[in-house]
Amino acid sequence: MTTTSLTRSPGTQVRRTMDPADRGKWKRFWILIVVASVALVPIAGTFILSLRSNNGTGGVTLDNFIHVLADTEVVAWLLNSLQVTLATVVVSVLVAAPAGYVLSRGRSRLVEGYSLLLFVIQSLPVITSVIPLFILFSGMGLADNLIGITILYVASSMSVSTWMMASYMDGIPDSLEEAAWIDGASVFGSFWHIVMKNSLPGILSTAIFTFLMAWNDYLVASIFLRSSGTFTLPIGVQTFFQQHSTDWGSVMAVAVIMMLPPAIVFAALNKYFSVGGVAGSLAGR
Amino acid sequence: MALLIAPSVLILLLTNAYPIAYAAFQAVHNGSLINSGEFVGLDNFARVLGGEAFWKAAGFTLVFTFTGVFGSWISGLGLALLLQKRIPARGFLKTILLLPWVVPVVVSSTSWNWLLATDSSPIPSLFRTLGLGEVRFLSDPFLAQVTVCLFIVWLNFPFMMLMMSAALTSVDESIYEAAKIDGATPRQQFIHMTLPIIAKPTYISWVLMTIFCVNEFPAIYLLTHGGPVGSTSTLVVLAYRTVFQNFQTGPGVAIAFMMTVALATVATILFRQIRKSRVE
Repeated sequence: MTTTSLTRSPGTQVRRTMDPADRGKWKRFWILIVVASVALVPIAGTFILSLRSNNGTGGVTLDNFIHVLADTEVVAWLLNSLQVTLATVVVSVLVAAPAGYVLSRGRSRLVEGYSLLLFVIQSLPVITSVIPLFILFSGMGLADNLIGITILYVASSMSVSTWMMASYMDGIPDSLEEAAWIDGASVFGSFWHIVMKNSLPGILSTAIFTFLMAWNDYLVASIFLRSSGTFTLPIGVQTFFQQHSTDWGSVMAVAVIMMLPPAIVFAALNKYFSVGGVAGSLAGR
Repeated sequence: MALLIAPSVLILLLTNAYPIAYAAFQAVHNGSLINSGEFVGLDNFARVLGGEAFWKAAGFTLVFTFTGVFGSWISGLGLALLLQKRIPARGFLKTILLLPWVVPVVVSSTSWNWLLATDSSPIPSLFRTLGLGEVRFLSDPFLAQVTVCLFIVWLNFPFMMLMMSAALTSVDESIYEAAKIDGATPRQQFIHMTLPIIAKPTYISWVLMTIFCVNEFPAIYLLTHGGPVGSTSTLVVLAYRTVFQNFQTGPGVAIAFMMTVALATVATILFRQIRKSRVE
């Protein structure tokens, strides 16, 4: 597209430096170090406070963690959160993968309409649906209940997980399925055996997203979960913070415990995670 | 095909169509969370629109969304550009810069509270030491608004960084080489080459971030509860407080319902526009 001109226009001088590319590299590196240091102050502070002893010596200790794990309900909340989050991840993938497949391969007005519907639903304030659902779920005994909250999380992550699956499946050639159809496989069979087998990175990306969403949600849980036996971590942690607002050591220990699972998941699966696909699938195919 | 998409459709209908219809019912009744109440027509809407709180919240929603979208976009794009070329420890830097977005907001709001909330907190103490006087980040209405806006930028710049990094990977390095030889300055390269290439992903990321910010609840509620004196209440926070703290279900649902209608309309227009501007 551009022709490289070998004749320099007059007036531009060749500046000779040590190695400009190398110098720029380190400059960018230091800018990023400074930005990251400032941005991570709140998170670093959380870790430091959680490890500081309360006896005034300022030494490093695990006492805060031992205290919150042994003497509070944190472990129960952690188990509730893990159950809800893992169930949400599994059900979301099982629902979003086939729907994403239809969006990826379908070419009808109905499919286009469903894309629009997903986008619109994604953009509505959760609070509008939450109040009627609370009344509905109360009648069914699902309000103060982990199954109820799992259903809500699957619903609220549905749009994005479907887009993520669709955009990943766009990259899988149709020819594989067509070959299977010729061999007599059903649409479902080819989807399950061929497309799903080849979609592992897309599935992982969707799983990370739904994990973060379900693990971090505060709004829905704060309305639906009413007894401390059903609290997930965000709600438990919030009540704990209100009761122990002066005991920063314990508060931050709980905060670190809550931070670890998403951080571990993210660190382990980071390379599979991409949000670029969301933009791609919105832009249409 | 129809069977594959059926579970998704069913869940969406149960969790959206029914509740929105029911919310419309609640908005024109004077009920509570327990009983459905009497039909009152547009009374709830009149009460909400006639009050000062709604317009204050609408105004702050605009400010909050605008700063949230552009603050996180500019910082996210800047970081994505810095991370675009090979630098030492690139993978590590990229990962730790994602942390504000990965860490649960319940946790980060607590950390921010510890840093800012009282006169003896670390940041106000630092300001005092630097001779900047008493800065009450969360108890002064205007400063609380600034703090909440900073918080939303801090929460969302990693998402923008991811979006912009993904967009920049589609830029072919060789065009920069050619431009350099032609004597284009870095600024010219950015304006005439990089920006047009990332224009579409940028637009989509603005649309998504606008939707995120308008609907944001926990970041504001956990940091300030929408206070002091309602200064940091966006419409969503106002709706929540009206229903769950003042127990005025009808007016609260009316606010949420108006937002729903407005957002559904805007989202439909934006979606059509994004699809129409298809390049390929």
